[in-house]
Amino acid sequence: MPHVEVLPNSAATVAPGWTYVVDTGYDPSKVAINPKNKKRAAAAAPGGQRAEDELSARQQTAIARRIAELERDNDPKQLITVPGKSSVPKTQNARRIIQYQRQIKHWLDDEEAQMGQAATTSRGSVSHAGGRGATQALRRQSTFASVPATPVEATPGPATMAQTPTRLDNTFAEDALLSIDQNLPPPLNSAELEALLAAPPLSYAASHAAPPPAGGPPQRQFCDNCGYWGQIKCRKCGARVCGMECKDAHEATRCLKWA
Amino acid sequence: MPPKGAKKAAAATANKTLVLDNGAYTIKAGIVSTGATPTYDDCRVVPNCIARSTRDKCTYVGSELDGCRDFGELAFRRPVEKGFIVNWEAEKAIWEHELMGEAAGAWWRCDPTETNLVLTEKPNCPKELQKNCDEVVFEQFEFAAYYRCVGATLNAYHAPTAASSLASQSLPQECLLIVDTSYSDTTILPLYNGKLLQSAVRRLTVGGKLLTNYLKELSSLRHYNMMEETYLLNEIKEAVSYVVPSSQQFARDLERTWKGRVGDRRELDASIVVDYVLPDYENAIHGHARPHDAAKSRMRRGLQPLQGPREDLLPLGNERFAVPELLFNPSDIGIQEAGIPGAVMESLSVLPEALKVGLLANVVVVGGNSLIAGFMERLETELRALVPVGYLLNVTRADDAVKHTWLGGARFASEQERLREVLVTKAEYDERGSTWLVKRFS
Repeated sequence: MPHVEVLPNSAATVAPGWTYVVDTGYDPSKVAINPKNKKRAAAAAPGGQRAEDELSARQQTAIARRIAELERDNDPKQLITVPGKSSVPKTQNARRIIQYQRQIKHWLDDEEAQMGQAATTSRGSVSHAGGRGATQALRRQSTFASVPATPVEATPGPATMAQTPTRLDNTFAEDALLSIDQNLPPPLNSAELEALLAAPPLSYAASHAAPPPAGGPPQRQFCDNCGYWGQIKCRKCGARVCGMECKDAHEATRCLKWA
Repeated sequence: MPPKGAKKAAAATANKTLVLDNGAYTIKAGIVSTGATPTYDDCRVVPNCIARSTRDKCTYVGSELDGCRDFGELAFRRPVEKGFIVNWEAEKAIWEHELMGEAAGAWWRCDPTETNLVLTEKPNCPKELQKNCDEVVFEQFEFAAYYRCVGATLNAYHAPTAASSLASQSLPQECLLIVDTSYSDTTILPLYNGKLLQSAVRRLTVGGKLLTNYLKELSSLRHYNMMEETYLLNEIKEAVSYVVPSSQQFARDLERTWKGRVGDRRELDASIVVDYVLPDYENAIHGHARPHDAAKSRMRRGLQPLQGPREDLLPLGNERFAVPELLFNPSDIGIQEAGIPGAVMESLSVLPEALKVGLLANVVVVGGNSLIAGFMERLETELRALVPVGYLLNVTRADDAVKHTWLGGARFASEQERLREVLVTKAEYDERGSTWLVKRFS
């Protein structure tokens, strides 16, 4: 079955600001570009109305911002100076490194940029691009598809095929039944193992775990206010709440409508 | 394979080695002499931060935090971000204070020029940061010799079974799967003969820091504004949180901690909901938890006259289990990653069948989050459900989840032969430079 994934919907974004356009008189096909009624425009946008479980661009931004906030190490607003007189850096180079005021995100962005650059310069070489593509394909693979679920299936295909002739040759049928050979995985291929051990480290961004499999249980929704199941969706911003009481609290504090 | 000249140069290395597991939350450090048998007691755990209190206007470096009497609104500066040393100004101050200064005491103090350094790092570190680290180690601290490696690989140097006479010959362990659930993040690291299978390393965003911040956010939203009370919330998290055994139990516990609707109030289950008595930093510097008392919470809201001593209570219901639940279901707050068991299976899916079998038979969990009650049981149950029936699955927690990596490193460093092969001396660095060194250690 083909894998169908719902891509993020950006239909509800309304671009701020303004721009110069060439005035060519009244053109009915362009009227929709800058409509007066934003609600109607969103509904009539090319993506159409959002599906029930889809997030608006605004919600996605809010979630991304929240996660970034949760995993932040240092608060940039709080400057804590190193107490006492610190010893003088011994070399020019050490002084440069010690005086860096960069945060981890700058270094990771640098790494991304360097990898991007390396990819564009070596686009000509097919092998390099192929290797990258292959690792990407591996990364995207669903975990559960590749792991057999039952012990019978646990025997990898090629191994079973290899076993079949030996079993036929064997005159003692009982032995074949008792044999545990077919339950054993194929022995380690030393070339393969060496390739695995020699593989270069993944970049930080590539090392993250894949999203949960598409066939898995749907994401659980919780009340934005009290943490109970979120059965009701806020009509203004799409967040989940558990009941009227929490809805009031939500609207008073966290509703994204005005965020 | 070290270059030919390496052996001769390394022969002159010092016989004292500083093993430094430089975590984002704590530094685990200790000096190991060659030939000694290190134990957990040789390791010192020091907070890796500079903290400043806006109340008493004091700044605490590393272990000075033990002397702090008022953790209210304490702000932290951490030199390690996402597991990598980023801010060398702060890290240098902490190292100088803890490892070379007076705070170290006679036992732990070291003179870098006469000491080897074994330093751990997280996997997938950006090359630029590795280079900076090497340069500072040699140019600023001037260690005699140095080895940098991914911390988890050192866990392979623990004897698989205690008191086995053959153990030392079979080291490093052949197949070992490390689940390192630490402060910055959670990483899955398959090892073969003590070497990291780099292409199978997987990382989850969820670590102790994220859990603490999440609890901080929830408590601030539901009760008092505690956004500045990181230290307190970390303490509360460690004291009260637990991992539910299954998602069915999660639903049941969520039901039991629900306040109910208007006109249909439910009694909160006192076996789950607790009141955390907040410290006031005058009479008590640490708080404690006790079973929920409905009368007390009515008093707090002014619905009933106040009785007894004045105290501030933080009721904790579903926060107790919904927060650590993120380790197993990061999608609960919208992080698009599978939980730890899913990440383990994903990591194994790129490895050959025979390795999978070996790795699953020897899964070791290290890192502070594994100390949360119920963590190991949940991990084992969920992994068992994902692993094919015919496979042997062995999940164990390290005897000391925090210091385990350090002890592995100490055992590694106590054997002269093994250490000599990997160490790079200052003379070699001066000759060949840091770019060579980054290649050498990768």
